[in-house]
This record gives sequence, structure tokens and C-alpha cells, in this order.
Amino acid sequence: MNGTNAPAPPAELPAPETPATARDADPRQATSITPTLRGGLRRARTWIAIGAVAILGAVALLVLQGGIRGGGPPLGADNPAPAGAKAVVEVLRAQGVEVDEVSAFDDARSAARGGATVVVADVAGFLDPERLGELADTAERLVVIAPDFASLDALAEGVRLAGTASGALDGAACELPAAERAGTLSDGQGLLRIDDGARAAGWQGCFPDGEFGFALAEGPGDGGRITIVAAPTAFANETIDEAGNAALALGILGETGALAWYVPGIEDVDAATAPTLGELTPGWVTPVILLLIVLVVVAAVWRGRRFGPLVAEDLVVDVPVAETREGRARLYERSAVRTHALDQLRIGALGRLLGILKLPRSADVREIAHAAALATGRDPYATERLLVDEEPADDRRLVELAAAIHELEAEVRRTLRPDADPTQSTERPGRPS
Amino acid sequence: MTISGRFVLLLALGVVPIVVAGALAGAASGAPTPAAVAAAGGQAAWLALLAWAALCAGLGAIDLSLAGSPRRVALQRELPPRVRLGEAVESHLIVQNLGGRALRAVVRDGWQPSAGVVGPNRSPLRIPTGERRRATLVLVPRRRGDRRVGQVTIRSAGPLGLWSRQATLAAPGVLRVLPPFASRVHLPSRLTRLRELDGRTPILIRGQGTEFDSIREYVRGDDVRSIDWRATARRTDPDAPGGTRLMVRTWRPERDRRIVIVTDTSRTAAARIADEPRLDTAFEASLLLSALASHAGDRVDWLAWDRRVRGRVHGANGAELLAKLVDVMSTIDPELIEADWAAVPAQVRRLTSRRALVVLLTGVDSPANAAGLLAMLPQLTSRHFVIVASVADPDAVAASGGTDDLDQVYRAAAAERGLLDGARVEAAIRRLGAETVSAPPQELPPALADRYLALKAAGRL
Repeated sequence: MNGTNAPAPPAELPAPETPATARDADPRQATSITPTLRGGLRRARTWIAIGAVAILGAVALLVLQGGIRGGGPPLGADNPAPAGAKAVVEVLRAQGVEVDEVSAFDDARSAARGGATVVVADVAGFLDPERLGELADTAERLVVIAPDFASLDALAEGVRLAGTASGALDGAACELPAAERAGTLSDGQGLLRIDDGARAAGWQGCFPDGEFGFALAEGPGDGGRITIVAAPTAFANETIDEAGNAALALGILGETGALAWYVPGIEDVDAATAPTLGELTPGWVTPVILLLIVLVVVAAVWRGRRFGPLVAEDLVVDVPVAETREGRARLYERSAVRTHALDQLRIGALGRLLGILKLPRSADVREIAHAAALATGRDPYATERLLVDEEPADDRRLVELAAAIHELEAEVRRTLRPDADPTQSTERPGRPS
Repeated sequence: MTISGRFVLLLALGVVPIVVAGALAGAASGAPTPAAVAAAGGQAAWLALLAWAALCAGLGAIDLSLAGSPRRVALQRELPPRVRLGEAVESHLIVQNLGGRALRAVVRDGWQPSAGVVGPNRSPLRIPTGERRRATLVLVPRRRGDRRVGQVTIRSAGPLGLWSRQATLAAPGVLRVLPPFASRVHLPSRLTRLRELDGRTPILIRGQGTEFDSIREYVRGDDVRSIDWRATARRTDPDAPGGTRLMVRTWRPERDRRIVIVTDTSRTAAARIADEPRLDTAFEASLLLSALASHAGDRVDWLAWDRRVRGRVHGANGAELLAKLVDVMSTIDPELIEADWAAVPAQVRRLTSRRALVVLLTGVDSPANAAGLLAMLPQLTSRHFVIVASVADPDAVAASGGTDDLDQVYRAAAAERGLLDGARVEAAIRRLGAETVSAPPQELPPALADRYLALKAAGRL
């Protein structure tokens, strides 16, 4: 069928000068199903507008909440997040303490040389223990918050981590003025254990949790006094206002007029070690990997772009006729109706035997069985049992009986019609006379 | 817009400048440590990556802007309206470039999958401005019915073949796929037998109810039983005075009988037996019977029925009859509804008021399904001669013989039950005065034709 929207008569076929004049409205031009870019944009403008409004709203909300700023590191001096330490730093500044935010080790060391109290808030464990020891040598007062095992080992030989406190801690139980002023500490403190050697060296612990350890340890370092607080709880924005946390933090940190707040970063890691594999790989490797990623995306677009929309196919109803039969067979099998199943085979066989033996239609089953026995020379009572009476006791007997019925029918057929084709239907019409 | 494999390759070649730039810059930097060399090379490599990406995108954009518009084309189809199922047909699509630039296009014609496009459905065409080109596809339809095409997709590449424009255009077309009529191989032998009946072959058949044709002189070989003694007595022999010539009666089969074929298109027709839906077997049988009957001079009406008339051919004859039949049949598919047999006598009455041979092509599976058919049959058999033709399942007979293990025995029992049900329905149909023809799919059309010939020979129509 010639199914175009605008069938072109062949006479006006080549149109040499039309392109410029008949640009937009050529009647022969086939209608396009694909929308043009402009049409697509116009159709989707509602969604584009909704999307734009949603994005703008989200951005505005973020700006208003201040959440657009990154949280920064835990215990960062300018970090207003729950884990940050902006609160204590701001209060210290308001009290006239000169707080210097330091992120490089060299700056921290020079501040220590200048006599400032140095706070090392290395919750992530970036700082090398050796460097921490170096800092302890130079700093007059060093406060270490939440040190890890190796750092603690480098700072104070006999002080060990001892898990977390069981609850809020009451009573400083030491002679540290800041601790005595604080009196209590909130829940969530870490514990430190101070052994006898350390005690002999001058270390003392404050805020004991029974016999398990202390939340704070204070002792002499090579350069000056070192204060170790096991958990960042007392300094973090979230918990500083609980119990005596604030008093402890301000007491420890506000002793001197200058404070260097040192939060080690990724650049403090392993600075002295040999160049890593990453540094030794040629510089072009990363760009090539990026190119390959782009290439995979582009190749996916190349292979995945569909050549026009899918074509729908209307499928016909199709019922495999064997389904009913299979279903019935499974039903027999599941409910194990052996006698019923065998009876089906018997009725079928008897009907066919009736035809083969040429008995009257009124013949009853025992007559058929006897006639079949007569034809094959079998025992008539055994045949009658096979065709009528016996009930299969188990599955094995069922299979045997089914095979025996089949065999009997075939034998009768062989005996009475030796040349007959068993598949031939009696229904077939003969040739017209 | 689409991108080509060539563009992907071009982008992949970017590895070379990136590596070269990185290595050269690293070597030229003369930095003391390997890490510093790597850093210097890295910077150059990043620059090279950016430059290459920009180059590729730029080339692609230029290519795209130079590609001919895939929208500014005129489309025309050349398609034969009909094809028999199983035969190949050529579909031509004529694409005319109306745009100002030459079109380097790949064209995909959006045929339904069952239209059976041979080979890849991608025709590369280069069409200069204003000219037209022909894209040819070979179709071998896989299903009967109307195979449709609605759209043509054109992908127009730029001169470099990097990026292409793509558009889908409306270009509807329909190809009607007719039933295969595979059973026509049985037609010649049945026609020969029909001619024997007809007396056109030199065999005189004296059928019981055939119509008296004429009286002619006896020639040697005629059946002596057909000598008409009364006519012989009246006919004096001009050569031998006083003698007589033997005269015989000639017979011919009845003509101008009515045949109504009712094809059931309900859910029983959807059953697939030996990889052929019952409906298709019914169509084959209808076609063979119609061809035979129209040769024999009978008039055939055909009706496809479930709860409404799905198709009807009435009052057609000869070649026109078969053409109309296949045309109507081609678009009929079975529906999953139960047939409304009660309305069939009225439908038959609308087709013919005279006594007719009514052939019902349906399935006789179980007494429950056949209740409607059995209830209706007396109305038909009182006025017409009725044959109920159904497709038998050869697998059921095969399954009823299996006795090897328990699984097979149960399966055999289920098959035997199905056969017994079918036999019961057939017996009921015969008791109601109709005849039954039941055969596997391949054998049903010739079996029905043979039954028709037998009835014709016996003069029972």
C-alpha cells in the first residue's frame, strides 16, 4: 500500500531551486514523529520549570541553614558542627585568649617555641607519634585530646588507654586546679590508666572511674607539662555544656594568654617516608584513566542509542492443548488416585477391545474380558482380574497393571487382525463407491 | 543526535597525545626526584586530555552542523497489498531529499518484528539534494494478519561521519498476510475424484441419489444396470427395421447445493495442537472444502463466529470465493471467550433458507465445553445436514500408550480420560443426527474433503 502522507507525483520530481524558497512548508515532506529540540523543550517546559524551582529552593535552603559549608574536621576550631570545637574556641577568644588556628606541623612547633599552649586535636590519627613527641619536647604546655595508642606511647610511657567511662564522673580527686573547678564530667568520657612507673615520674590522674582509670592525665614532658584528655567529649560543641565539661576545657586551655589549636590534616601523614607508588607513577596515568572512563560512557551512548522507537507487536492468544492433559496427570499423581487412573486406562482398553472383538455394544465388561481371554488363550479369571477387579496396592503394581493391559490389548489386536495397522482410525471415510 | 563508532575511535586515539605529552614534559622538566617528574608530566597530560576532548567535541559539532536534515525528506512506499504466508515480498521505500544538503543517511524501516525483515534493517543511502533513492527490504512474514509499519527512522551523518542527526518520520503501510492454504496440495487428487463423479472421465458411476442427466445410446463399457428399457423400447433402430437400440441413462452428481462453513473462533480455537492453532487448521480445512465445492458447482458461504460475526463470505463463486475467503480469514485471531452456539442457527438461516450442508469447525474436548454446541445441534440437524469437524490431538493418542514408569502411566491415564471425553461428545453429536470428522491437524482438511465427496457420491446433500 502506498502509505505516505503526501505522495509525490513523479512528474514534479527534481526541484532544483526549491531548497531556499520552500524551506519550511514543503507539502511533500513527511511528518516527523521525533520532536525538534525546540519542540521538545516546549513540551517539557513544565517539568523544566519544576526542576529549576526545586534546585533553586534546595540551594536557597542550604544557604539559609549554613549547611552549604563543609563540617570540617572533628574538633576543628571553626567547625560549628556537633563534633567541632568552635564553641570553646569562641569563648576563649571572648575571654581574651589569643587562639591561633594551626593546620601545619611547622606552624604548631613555632607557636610552641613562642610559649603558647598547644592543643593537639588529632581525632583521626593523622599525626605521626614521633612528631608528637617532638612537639612535646618544645611546647611549654601541651594538651592532647583523644590520642591513639602509638601517640600515647610516645608521650607518656606508663599511661595507657583503658576504654570508656561507665557514666558521668563525679569528683576530680586530684590537685589540678582546672579539674577541681570543674568538679564533674559528663557521660561519654574515655579512660586512661597510669601505672606505678608513670606515677613515679610525676603523672597524676583526675576524674577516676572507680578502679578502671582516669578521664584526664597530667604530667611532666621533656619540654613542659602535658595534659592528656582521653575523649573529645569535654571539648566538642555538642557536649561542652554538660556537667563540668566547659569549666574543665576553659580551665585547661585558658591558663596562658596564647593558644595554638592544632588539628593535623592529611598532609601531616608520613611526610618523611619514601615516595609512594602513587607518586612514582607517570603523570599521564590519571588523565588516561579519565579518558578511558569517558570513552566507556561515549561507547555506551554509541551502542545504546536506539535507532528509532520500538515497534509494538500485537501477539495472538496461544493455548498449548497438552496443558490440560499434563495438569490432570499431575493431579492424579499428587492425590495418588491409582484405581481411578487405572480405570481410565481400563475403560479405554475395553472400548477398543469391544471394537476389535466385534462384540455387541451391549456386552458387559466381564464378557469382554472373557472374550479377550478366549482370543489370546489366557486364563479368563486372570484377564477379568486385570481388566476389572484388581485394585493396585502401590505404585509399582499400578505400573505393572498398566503395562499388562497395554500388552493384552496389543496381543488381542495381533491375534485377530495380524495385518491391521493399529494407528488406523475407524473413523476414516472410505472412497466413494 | 547520535555518535558513531568512528567518533569513539577518535576519542580513544587521544591516549597517544596524552601519553606523549606527559612523557615529553616530564623528561624536559629536569626535576630532581621522580615524584616531581611525574607531577610535571601530569600537568602536561591533563592539558593534552582537555585539548583532545575539546578537539573531538569541536569536530563532532562541526560535523553535526554540516549533516543534512533527516526531517526534510519525502517518503513513499511501494508495497504489494497481499502476500501468502511463507512467501517473500519486497518492500520499497523511496526517500526524496528535500533539504539543501546531500543526505548521507542510514534508514531503518519500522516494521513489526513478525513482518520478518530478512537481513539487517539498515539501508545506507546517499541522496544528493532534490533526488530520491530507493531502499529495498525483503520481508518473509511470520504470522498471518495485517503486518503494519508506522515509521521510518533516518540517521543522517555529517561529512566526517562522527556525529549524526536522527529523526523518526511517519510513513504508515500495511501488508496483509494471507493464510498459507498449504492443504491445496490435496486439491488435485480430490478434483480428479470429483471429475470421476461428474462423469467427465470415462467412468459411469451410478449413484443412488444422483440426479438424472440424460439418455443416450449404449456404448460398450457402459454399466448394463443403467440401461433404460423403457427408452430402449421407444427407440427404433433406423438401420435394422424392427430392431431397437439400447439406451442408457446417464447421471451426474447434484449441483447447486448450499454449503455453510461455520468456523468457531472462540477460546477452543486458540488451542495449539501439533504446533498449529486450531483456528489455522480450521481455515485450511475451510479453504480446501471451499475450493473443492466451488469446483463441484456448489455454493459456499463461510462464517467465522464466536459471540459475534468475526468474518463472513457470502455469495462469492469460483476464484473470487477463495480470494475473498483468504482476505477475510487473514485478520481473524481467536479470542478468549466462550462461543455463543445458541445464535448459530439464526446466522445459518440468514445465509441460506434452503437445506444445506453445515460444517461446524470447532473442538470437541469435554462434555462441559460442548454443552452449548450439543444444545444447539437439534435445531440445525432438523433443517440441514451437519458435520462437526474437530482437530484431534495426535499427542494424546501417543501419550495414552505410555506405560514405562509411574509418571507415564498417570500421563497415559489423563490422555485416555481426554480421549474418552472426546469420544463421548462425538457419540452425543452423532446421536443428535450430525456427523463427525476428527483428525490430526495435517489430516483434517483432506479428511473433511473426502467426507464431502463421499456425501456427494451418495447423493445425500
